Amino acid sequence: MFAFSVPTAANPRPRNRPARYTLAVLIGAVVILVVAGNSLLDYVFIDSIPGRATLYGLVAVALIAVGTYIQARAFNRDPVTRRRHLIRAGVLLGLAAMLWLLISDLFLFAQSAGPGVAAVCALACVPTTAFGLWVVRRIDRNEKEPWRLVLVAAAWGAVVATSLVIWAETFWDEIAVNTLVPGPGLDASNAFSAGLFEELGKGLAVVLLFLVMRNEFDDVVDGIVYGAAVGLGFNFMETITYMTNLYAIFSPEGSGGIAAGFQWYARQGLGLFMGHATYTALVGAGIGIARQLPSRRQKVIAILTGFLVAIAAHFSWDAWLTFFPIEGSLFGLVEVHLRTLVMTGPFTAGVIVLLALGLRNESRALYDQLRKEAAVGAGAVLPAEVGILASPWRRFGERLRALDKGGLRAYVRLARLQTAQLDLAMERWHRERQEIDTPLEAEQELRSEILTLRRKAAF
Amino acid sequence: MAVGVSDPVRTLYRTLLAYGAFATLIVVAGVAEYVHFEPFTSSPGLHAKVVGIYLYDPATKQTSGPGRESFARNEQFAAVVDWSGLPDSATFEAVWFDSFQNIVGSVGPGTPGQLRNQTIVPAEVPQGLKYHLPGQYIFAIERIDNGRPVEVIGRRVVYVER
Repeated sequence: MFAFSVPTAANPRPRNRPARYTLAVLIGAVVILVVAGNSLLDYVFIDSIPGRATLYGLVAVALIAVGTYIQARAFNRDPVTRRRHLIRAGVLLGLAAMLWLLISDLFLFAQSAGPGVAAVCALACVPTTAFGLWVVRRIDRNEKEPWRLVLVAAAWGAVVATSLVIWAETFWDEIAVNTLVPGPGLDASNAFSAGLFEELGKGLAVVLLFLVMRNEFDDVVDGIVYGAAVGLGFNFMETITYMTNLYAIFSPEGSGGIAAGFQWYARQGLGLFMGHATYTALVGAGIGIARQLPSRRQKVIAILTGFLVAIAAHFSWDAWLTFFPIEGSLFGLVEVHLRTLVMTGPFTAGVIVLLALGLRNESRALYDQLRKEAAVGAGAVLPAEVGILASPWRRFGERLRALDKGGLRAYVRLARLQTAQLDLAMERWHRERQEIDTPLEAEQELRSEILTLRRKAAF
Repeated sequence: MAVGVSDPVRTLYRTLLAYGAFATLIVVAGVAEYVHFEPFTSSPGLHAKVVGIYLYDPATKQTSGPGRESFARNEQFAAVVDWSGLPDSATFEAVWFDSFQNIVGSVGPGTPGQLRNQTIVPAEVPQGLKYHLPGQYIFAIERIDNGRPVEVIGRRVVYVER
């Protein structure tokens, strides 16, 4: 019989915060400084932002002030109260940042066609982006990432990343336009700017998730999921920008709706996965692979390579788009699809290859760990369950059987049990590879939780 | 755990490095393209004088009013160039680029002597449209070498309002 020690918490954290948290705080501080700088530049130089935007800014400032005050007070209190205060402070600070950035973004990117058109464009992009996020989360068939983190990643892509890059790209373009020969050289310069700044802005979200949410960041599959989610968020905001901009440009010619509709199809249909989602998924793949590499040197190389591939993919699209001109005839519609397939298809295929390899590794490792756990005899995983748990379809089949026998409640209970069992197998896998910093009690606590869930599922 | 021969993460790592090699080629190609069109050659130090950007009447082909930096979409405008002072041994071209980097007007290429009578360079409304596209327009006087622009020796940027 397996001997359990008394756990100190449901999901104990390491006693000392790992060094990666310091790096995350530093990156967070830089992001806040850049965002604050952007806001200041918006205020000083973009005279088209109406004065009321600054009122929203004041609300954000007030939220930041209150959040900081609560956060400061939290450090003088007992652990339980401290945690509550820190959560409150975090929520307030997050709300402030999102409000500030969202308003800034809306005025910056969508003002050209007016609020009505901007709202219609945004609504048109919601179902497609939601579908993209659903698909991206589903591909992680063994251990789906929590919706909250997937949505945070998408929100970062839509709001934070767009704010981070706007001024960097504007300055670069301003210098390039006033110094370079218009033509391919200038196109290449602008493409480097877009590839570099946008991939850095988006990739930071995946880096932060990797540093802070290590428990929810297992391997290359998770990196691809988070990266693609960030890319889908960025694509959401960029589509609204292009739709409103082109509507404003072409509506006096009587073709504003067609121009906006074409942008919607190109970015939310054809380019939903073959665009920003692919680029940032490549960043995520690099970080995900780094997660499981043993040496720091290899980790750094993997992360930098992921960024390099994403930047190159983005650059090639922006710089060489003009080499694939689209005819004005009906054949142009075919050419639009072929162009995306030829220019972005290879990179999307590259992501799919990494994803397939990652899923295969993950499945094999989980099967191995489930088998080992069953052999321990602690009751968390039974020998008969190993084959079922290792196969997504068989797991689903079991849940359907539970649904048939005991209704929705039985289905949910079995789903929770299966998730906890896979979590345990994943934990074992990381511990065997010596790539985990949570204490062993977390694993023991998981076993205990599984036994409780099993008892509930039996009813 | 050390990344051994049988470690599947090693396969992923190697695949990523292969992608990285391909990406490096793309970046090198991009830099080569940039250098080709923006050669790091020593400039002869020429400067062309763009007198200004003015309202333009296509019927009379004349400019009017003071120099401006922004125009409405339905206004016609043109640049006025002073070709004097440029050596006849070199070839030049004056080009308008719209906000999508499309060429929407040009004179040349030719020597200053050949271009002496073409001092007004209008920006034209793209075919099929009624108005200028909004955004930033670049007027550039380029020195041409071996049939391609190698240097901008005069430049003005104007804005077409929405």
